[in-house]
Amino acid sequence: MKRIVVDPVTRIEGHLRIEAVVENGVITEAYSAGMMVRGLELILKGRDPRDAWAFTQRACGVCTTTHALTSVRCVEDALGIVVPENAELIRNIMNTALYVQDHVVHFYHLHALDWVDVVSALSADPKETSRIAQSISRWPKSSPKYFADVQNRLRRFVESGQLGIFANGYWGHKQFKLPPEINLLAVTHYLEALEWQKELVKIHAIFGGKNPHPNYLVGGVPCSLNLNEVNAINSERLNHVGSLIKAAIEFVEQVYIPDLLAIAGYYKDWGAIGGGLPNYLSYGEFPTKGYNNPEYFKFPRGAILDRNLSEVHEVNGRDQEEIREYIKHSWYSYGAGDDASLHPWEGETEFNYTGPKPPFEQLDVDGKYSWVKTPRWKDHAMEVGPLSRMLVAYASGNTEVQDVVNDTLGKLQVPVTALFSTLGRTAARGLETLLIVHWMKDYFDHLVQNVRTGLTSTFTQEGWEPSTWPDSAQGLGLTEAPRGALAHYIRIENQKIANYQLVVPTTWNASPRDPSGQRSSYEAALIGTPVADEEQPLEIIRTIHSFDPCLACAVHLYDPEGKHIQAFQIG
Amino acid sequence: MSKPVAGTLVVGVGNTLLGDEGVGVHVIRHMEGMDLPAGLELLDGGTGGFLLLGPMQEAGRVVLIDATLDDQPTGTITKLRPKFSSDYPRTLTAHDIGLKDVLDAFYLTGSDPPEVTLFAVTIPEPSGLTLDLSKEIDAIVPEIARQVLEEVD
Repeated sequence: MKRIVVDPVTRIEGHLRIEAVVENGVITEAYSAGMMVRGLELILKGRDPRDAWAFTQRACGVCTTTHALTSVRCVEDALGIVVPENAELIRNIMNTALYVQDHVVHFYHLHALDWVDVVSALSADPKETSRIAQSISRWPKSSPKYFADVQNRLRRFVESGQLGIFANGYWGHKQFKLPPEINLLAVTHYLEALEWQKELVKIHAIFGGKNPHPNYLVGGVPCSLNLNEVNAINSERLNHVGSLIKAAIEFVEQVYIPDLLAIAGYYKDWGAIGGGLPNYLSYGEFPTKGYNNPEYFKFPRGAILDRNLSEVHEVNGRDQEEIREYIKHSWYSYGAGDDASLHPWEGETEFNYTGPKPPFEQLDVDGKYSWVKTPRWKDHAMEVGPLSRMLVAYASGNTEVQDVVNDTLGKLQVPVTALFSTLGRTAARGLETLLIVHWMKDYFDHLVQNVRTGLTSTFTQEGWEPSTWPDSAQGLGLTEAPRGALAHYIRIENQKIANYQLVVPTTWNASPRDPSGQRSSYEAALIGTPVADEEQPLEIIRTIHSFDPCLACAVHLYDPEGKHIQAFQIG
Repeated sequence: MSKPVAGTLVVGVGNTLLGDEGVGVHVIRHMEGMDLPAGLELLDGGTGGFLLLGPMQEAGRVVLIDATLDDQPTGTITKLRPKFSSDYPRTLTAHDIGLKDVLDAFYLTGSDPPEVTLFAVTIPEPSGLTLDLSKEIDAIVPEIARQVLEEVD
């Protein structure tokens, strides 16, 4: 029996520590610990609720707009504000643009290097890479010379001794299964994706005025629509957005999805590893008839228990009995004690660090061991993220989702149970991107149609003035962030924020056990994962990365000593 | 030898929720109120990571301002000309993950890397969650801005 510590997990946002017990080459126990303090809530107290979006979106550099969107939804919900259709469409365009950019960046820049051996790409035959590329896609950049050029640049980079972004890989690990030619293909697209993503996010600057951290507005969006006005969203800007969306569809269809399938074909065994929890939660996303009508969302709201795809349970974030957070194993204290749970509207953020002084060898996992709280839905531990969204949609009878999932299972020749796995999670992210990138075009076409017919309203004054607000109000903003179910809860007293709580996707997935000992997603998914080489626990990283961890918002700030443990420790 | 100011981008990075860690952004906010040479652009890079690739590539020259925790006295302003991501000093938060890819990507994509100057500001051990700078760091914001302008002039 050996205890493996991965701290920090690299190529994620934020600071995550994983401790895993390995017996006979298989993980038998796992602990996930967020190592940074959480507490954005404390900064928001007493502020104008209409400003909350600007602070919440500073929590993270990856999904800045998601927090801003969730925050304005939350405040609008509290104040009974319904935004105009164009505002909903523009928010959807910005949100879908975020999804597509975020998922592509996750696949190529944060997750691919768990499957792709960069060093092996140096021994590839560029002619063969070209042949493979042309057999799976009509993407034009596919000549032997093109791949040879990339290979040469990569070689110079590696030979310079500056591995830089590639420094932390387990190159040469025997669990890398791709032939050198596909490794070269993937590394080439890693670089292309980096170039491409910077174009797509211009959509945020066009509608949000700036990027990073675009502007949002309670009651609508902070931009005006006028085809002929220089400072408005005019025909030139709309044309620009249209061409960015067209390019995004092309990239997803001709690069991301073919690469995903090509790589997945060599790792089908991962369709039986890393399944973890059998319960999936989605708040639903992309309203088409307003935030208050979730039955018209593109991704439905609901929960699945015990992998039973014939039943979808209703989810109500307002119900005091449904979503509750525990702190039994988290470094907080509740007035009602360590075994209590609280609904986020009554949420408390009181730090109580009881852990060892870092650096330390191992956490006391019988006590508190993480800065992440433990949320539960009706006391069930739930997985959130792309797989949950796709499964809830699949089980709800959404034919778009069913078609793309069934088609992919057929192409890979794997059973439906392969969805419940590390591979399934990574595939679900790609497949939903394929759907979403087309939805982005639908929202855009709809917006253009509205503008052409003179429907240009983007903001409602209704509810803007604090003098019109009730003395107290509470609101709930539910969003499906790229990483999963995200909730902001607000209580407003006398026109100021009295309480603000975030229940973020990585809180669901990365949290420690609850008082009854139930594991959350990461810990559950690691059980049963084989580890071929305890000195190079590549398999742990694969499964953890498949969730796309982002602890920047799950937990904020720095570890208790104000220092990051930078060394990669295995012991 | 310095290049003309036009095409120069000053980027302040950092997390403004973390007090002094956001000093880069505070310098940008300070400079927004100053008379600047024509063509000099400012960017609140925040925790932008990957999102900074576009603006940085489009600029011929980049001046980065970031916080660092090193062994120097609080408020020390160190001017560096880093080449690879590994030449950069350690920063506190997560925002450096995308930034490193961005920097190395210049070499890997074969595009001409911009001339990068980094002003690393030594900050004290963080003491809590705040939007405000500490007194010591707040006091040197004008001096950082002055050095940035001297650099690009």
